Amino acid sequence: MIETGIPKLDEFLGGGMPKGKSLVYFIQPGVEGEVFGMQTVYSALKNGRNCIFVVSSTIPDIIRGQFKEFGWDINSYNETFFCVDAYDPLIGAPSKEKYVVSNPESIEEFSKMIINIIKDSPPTTIVFGSLSTIIDLCGEKETISAVRDWNKMAMLYDHVMIYNFTAWPYSEETLNSIKGDLFNAVISIGGIAERVIFGQYFGILKSDWTKEIKKSMLFRVLRPGGIKLYIPKILVTGPFDSGKTTFVHALSTRAISVDRLGTTIALDHGHVDYKGFSADIFGTPGQERFDPIIKLLSGESMGVFLIVDSTNPTDFVRAKQMLEITKSYGLPMVVVANKQDLPGAMAPEEIRKQFNLPQDIPIVSVVATDKKGVFEAFEVLIDKITEGRI
Amino acid sequence: MPDIIDILDEILENLRKTGGVEACAAVSRDGLLIRGIIQKQQFAESFAAMAATMLGAAETATIELGKGVPNRVIVESDQGKLIAVGAGPKALLIVLVDSNTGLGLILLELEKAALKVKELLT
Ligand SMILES: Nc1nc2c(ncn2[C@@H]2O[C@H](COP(=O)(O)OP(=O)(O)O)[C@@H](O)[C@H]2O)c(=O)[nH]1
Ligand SMILES: [Mg+2]
Repeated sequence: MIETGIPKLDEFLGGGMPKGKSLVYFIQPGVEGEVFGMQTVYSALKNGRNCIFVVSSTIPDIIRGQFKEFGWDINSYNETFFCVDAYDPLIGAPSKEKYVVSNPESIEEFSKMIINIIKDSPPTTIVFGSLSTIIDLCGEKETISAVRDWNKMAMLYDHVMIYNFTAWPYSEETLNSIKGDLFNAVISIGGIAERVIFGQYFGILKSDWTKEIKKSMLFRVLRPGGIKLYIPKILVTGPFDSGKTTFVHALSTRAISVDRLGTTIALDHGHVDYKGFSADIFGTPGQERFDPIIKLLSGESMGVFLIVDSTNPTDFVRAKQMLEITKSYGLPMVVVANKQDLPGAMAPEEIRKQFNLPQDIPIVSVVATDKKGVFEAFEVLIDKITEGRI
Repeated sequence: MPDIIDILDEILENLRKTGGVEACAAVSRDGLLIRGIIQKQQFAESFAAMAATMLGAAETATIELGKGVPNRVIVESDQGKLIAVGAGPKALLIVLVDSNTGLGLILLELEKAALKVKELLT
């Protein structure tokens, strides 16, 4: 399997792309989508694979600069990375690249170059920086039919073909074949405006080697960093003194709290960058007098950590009440059995019994003060969140 | 991207151009940053969450005390001012103002912007 390098996408695809397959990143205009192909390039190089990037929308030096902005040092892979320059000839500039399409407005010239590369190269990840630009230069029908040939040839020679495509208003026929039978997989990348969540998502529209999957993920593009899956809000709630603030700080790359006299009176807010995820964490106060604030802060959560002090069974009553207040029932949830270092701490299964928790809610043992179990809990919750549709 | 974002950006852009405004943002009532023009981008999300909590706490307090919904929350320090106003049921607007600018014009502009955001997000 060849990885796409997009967090979670490889997992959704069942490990990545089998050799010989083709995939298109189908990008809604106005969405930052071209980074997908670039991230795939970098990930292939990092995994020791050969990679070719077809540049047709700007000069290759600018593309190399963009890689650098993402923090991806592709110039150190000069044995395994090559550009196909299909831009400089357009503006009559000399090219420094190994492969040059002498007339990028002619699909025959283009095809000759691509087919040669396919025949002469060892198995390679071949990424097209912008299929839409090729279509604009060479024509819709002509390009589609060439791509069909390239994909067939690539299958024979065990390459992997990846295309960035921006879905400008082309003919229905063109768009349908790109979404339909031209590629083995179609990843759609678009914008959403749902209530107060405005952002960008990607999802698998089709993949002929994967069982049906209907998942979509919010993402952000960071410079440096590239594509990070984005979770706008994870709620951390639970009774007073159970360790919510400690947990938020243990998990977060950076965090702040509004604490007075050692207790949270407004909120904890933290930001987590972990394993390709970028998430904002909202910690609530615990005492009943802050219930209006707890209610206020809990809207739009995508997942919930319920923190309990494992030595204190009275916590469980209040904990249940807090789930009601925060309307957490039905959201992906993980119970954090905190303070496992203290004598008398109940084991997770004991807590499940006392608490009468259904089996499908995971309980994770944590010592927040030592950061023990904190990231395990995060991973479990992320899995829960990504199991469903975001 | 949805057009709403472009309109929202324009509203914030105009607000930002008002004399003395250093940063401004549209935030959901539950503390999520919708859009913002803020130099310290790293802090933007926390800033949004804090401001929503402030306004929410203030509204809870005045309503409970029978004094109705507050028009705005103004926080003054020697270095500047922070103002939060409600912009409909889903959102609020916040601005950060430098210390030597009077609030008159800014409050007016903020009010206008809040009305537009209210229209946009309901
Ligand atoms: N022994 C132990 N103490 C903890 C642990 N987590 C938090 N604490 C302590 O519990 C107290 C309450 O923690 P805090 O995070 O403020 O709780 P919150 O009220 O839920 O926000 C503090 O004194 C923490 O140091 C833990 O895992 N083990
Ligand atoms: Mg706390």
